[in-house]
Formats: sequence, structure tokens, C-alpha cells
Amino acid sequence: MLALLDAWLFAPFEYGFMRRAVVAGLALSLAAPPLGVFLMLRGMSLIGDAMAHAILPGVALGFLFAGFSLPVMSLGGILSGLLVAVLAGSVSQMTGHREDSAMASFFLISLAAGVMLVSLGGSSVDLTHVLFGSILAVDTTALVLIAGIASLIVTVLAGIFRALVVECLDPLFLRGQGVRGGVVHGVFLGLVVLNLTAGFQTLGTLMAVGLMMLPATTARFWSQRLEGLIAIAIGIALVASTGGLLLSYHLSLPSGPAIILLAGVAYVLSALFGRQHSLAARWRRTARPLDAAPPP
Amino acid sequence: MARLQLHDLQLARGGQTVLEHLDGRFQDGAVTALIGANGAGKSTLIAAIMGMLAPVAGRVECRVPRERCAWLPQQLALDLTFPMSVEELIMTGTWPSHGALKGYCAAHYRKGRDIMARLGISHLAHRQLGELSGGQRQRALLGRTLMQEAELLLLDEPFANVDGETVEMLMDVLRDMARAGATILVVLHDMEQLARLADDVLLLAGGHGRWVSPEALLDHHTGQLPRAPRLPIDFQEASHAGTA
Repeated sequence: MLALLDAWLFAPFEYGFMRRAVVAGLALSLAAPPLGVFLMLRGMSLIGDAMAHAILPGVALGFLFAGFSLPVMSLGGILSGLLVAVLAGSVSQMTGHREDSAMASFFLISLAAGVMLVSLGGSSVDLTHVLFGSILAVDTTALVLIAGIASLIVTVLAGIFRALVVECLDPLFLRGQGVRGGVVHGVFLGLVVLNLTAGFQTLGTLMAVGLMMLPATTARFWSQRLEGLIAIAIGIALVASTGGLLLSYHLSLPSGPAIILLAGVAYVLSALFGRQHSLAARWRRTARPLDAAPPP
Repeated sequence: MARLQLHDLQLARGGQTVLEHLDGRFQDGAVTALIGANGAGKSTLIAAIMGMLAPVAGRVECRVPRERCAWLPQQLALDLTFPMSVEELIMTGTWPSHGALKGYCAAHYRKGRDIMARLGISHLAHRQLGELSGGQRQRALLGRTLMQEAELLLLDEPFANVDGETVEMLMDVLRDMARAGATILVVLHDMEQLARLADDVLLLAGGHGRWVSPEALLDHHTGQLPRAPRLPIDFQEASHAGTA
């Protein structure tokens, strides 16, 4: 029994590439879910998806100029992601259109431009790599970059946490206090772009958003408190990224989809059996008596 | 010297003038009622005082520091699906002293609990905002302004959709705040509430404002306050006074 456990859980990590992959996954799992929780609470769940497409042309340009160099591709991704965020924000401000429609337009343009650029300069293997990533090819440079970006995200998020919470709840109050809500919002979107850039190497531009949003939307079925949502989302992401890697190793599955699908299984199970708002919770229909203390 | 003054103010919404030639000073340590028909410019004036709407001409002179100004808008901008408890909402009122980074100490939590006790919402401390009734929410929001130690308080129809007991409680707290020196503006429609709360009245009508005492709104025949202001007559006079 122990031998079996060892063979399944620990033996794979004797390989360097698996160790690097799992550390990259853990770093992303700490940084991405809190961002996903805020995106979800702000009703911007799909913005993450849009931003993931927005970094593609920059990554592709980096690829064209420097070949498969992660730092250059990441820099390109960050720049094009931020550019799209700023453009979408200013177009919606100037035209009065809602930000999501501007964002939708720009992300479609970016996606087409990105795919075009990659096809011009490389083979379809490269395209697959950019779109779907390969966590098993994470080298030490990539690992340092991912861990660095993840640390930066967690630190900055801690710094703007209170402002972000107040801005989500009551933007007018924050404005009354002389804080430009747009600045907080902009920094937050910047963090989302950074996180997606860190994630594209391992999960690909399209899957990177999965580790951000799925744990967050899953946590909604288990907690009603912000701290609870963040803690549960991080927990789910940690389990999904490690479990997904092991599954992909043992069953020869592509690692990115394995990780995201595992998070997807957690989502479906939570939607069925979670503590809040789930199907099972609807069936229960019990209520605390009047004099009972509310749950902590 | 009044800390909030209007100087020949002209305000517009979407290119259309809403108020013009508005002058006057709001008494410190007093409650001023802002009354007028729908569309008379009450909310517009409040937005201008909060600095959210730039005047077309004239100016608002506000000597209360910005972070001590509190505004409870009529249509709440609050996102009620956001997971936050009553206590956490009240603690955000520490923003002027704590900003984005400084940690709360025990004394601030104690102050928060005192405020909740005074507003009768201690038992709701850990309740989520989305689960509150309209009146409970209004109490919690006033709690935040108490935590903020607001010196200028702008309330847009604070008693709408609020039960009688809560109205009494909120009025008590507002009067105490005024006694402590705060400048308070309240948009009101109920004449009875106006009579009991307001020290001064600013009538808005026809694009002009007119300052009156609450007694001046008394019914000429009965000597009592009417249930509703005699709109056409009062406001006709008001607009003449404004243009004069």
C-alpha cells in the first residue's frame, strides 16, 4: 500500500522537470485565485478570459523577434495585455460604451493578430505551445520568472487589498475620500495581466485563466466571506495543479488541460453538493431558528 | 463663519441648467433640509457640494476636509452581493485616519462596537450586507459616517423605505452629530420629519433656491405644518425671490 502511494505521489518528483513543474504550479496557485475571486465579485469573470487573449499578440511578437525566449515573450505579453486594458478603458470612457463591449472587441482583434503572427513566424507546433503551454518544459529561468511574478502579485495585492475591497463595495465612498477608484482598478487589471503572463508558459494563454477563475467560482459554493473565498480558492488551485500534474504524468495526458479539468471537476461537484447556493443546498431548505447565533 | 457656502452657483446636467444664482451659507452644527419637487436639483446640488459635478459658474466653498465629508446617496452605489459584514463596513469608516495600509487596533474595534450598540445593530455585526433590510442597511451606513467622524454629512432621502422606529433612531443620531458641530444636509419630502429635524430649510424650485425657516412653511390658515408643502404657491414665491 505504502509502496503504491509512493509510486503514485512521490516517485514522479524524482525527475527535475516534475519538481520544477510542481513548484511553478504552486506559485501560480497562490497568486491567481485571489485575483479570480475579485474578478468574480466585480462581475468581471469573463474579463480574465479577454485579457488572456489580449496578451497573445505580444507573446507572438516576442517569439518572432527572439525565438522561444520566455523573458522576451513575457515582456511582449505584459505590454500587449496592458495596452489592451488601457485602450479598452479609454475607449469606453471616451465613447460611453460599456467597458466589456470595448474589451470584447479588442480581445478578438488581439487573438486574430496573435494567431496570425505566430503562423507567419513559426510552425503549428509553436502555435500549440503558445496557446496551450507545456508545464513540463519549465526550465529554471522560467521558474524564477514565474515565482518572481507570483510574489510580486501577492505583495501588491496585499498593499491594495483594503482599497480594492472598498472600491468593489462602494466606489463613491472611496472617491469621497479623495482616492481615484480608476487607479486601484488599473493596478488590479495590471496584476491580472502579469498573472496571465506568468501562467502562459505552463498552461498556455488560453488555459492560464482557468487556474484564476475556476477555483474562485468553485469557492463561491463553500463560503460567503471574502477571506474564506480566497483561502478555499487557493486550496482548490493547489490541489488541482498538483493533482493535475500527477494525473498527466501517470496517464500521459497533456498537463495544462489535466490541471484545469481537475479544477473543473471540483467546480461541478461543488455546484452539486456545496454548502451555499448548490443544488443540494436548495434541497435542504433548512433554516436556523430565530434565536440562534449566525454562523461564524 | 459657515464652513459650507455657495457663491452664485450655476449647475447643469447634460447641457441643461438645473440651478442658477444659488447663494447662501449652511449653518455649522445644524441640520438644513433641502426640499423641492422631483427634478428641482436637490441631488445635483449635493453632487456639486461633494465635488463630483463641476459648476458651470460660481463656486462651492467647502472648508471641511474632504475625508470628513460623508455622502449617503439616494440610489445606493453599494454592491450588495459583495461579501462584507456590517462590522467590516463600519470599520471602512476609519479610512481618513488609516488609509489603505494601517492596521486597526483594539481601540478602533471597540469604537466600532460602541457605534453598533448606539445604532441598535450589535446583533447584526457579523451579518452580510446583502441580508439586511433597508432600515438596517441605513443604520449600518450611518455607522460608517460616525466612524469616519464626518463633519459634513449629505443625506439624500435617508428615511425612504425605513420603518418608524429606525427613523426616530436615525434622527436622534443626526441631531447629536449636529450638536457636536457637524454640518448636515438632508433631502426630505416628509413635512413632519422636516419640522422635527431641520433648523433651516433650502427650497429649490424653478432653477432657483430660497432660504426659509421651518416655521415659514407653516400653513397660513391652521398654523400647523401641512402634510406636504403647498408646492405651487411656495415654489412660485421661491423662484421670484431667487430672481430678485
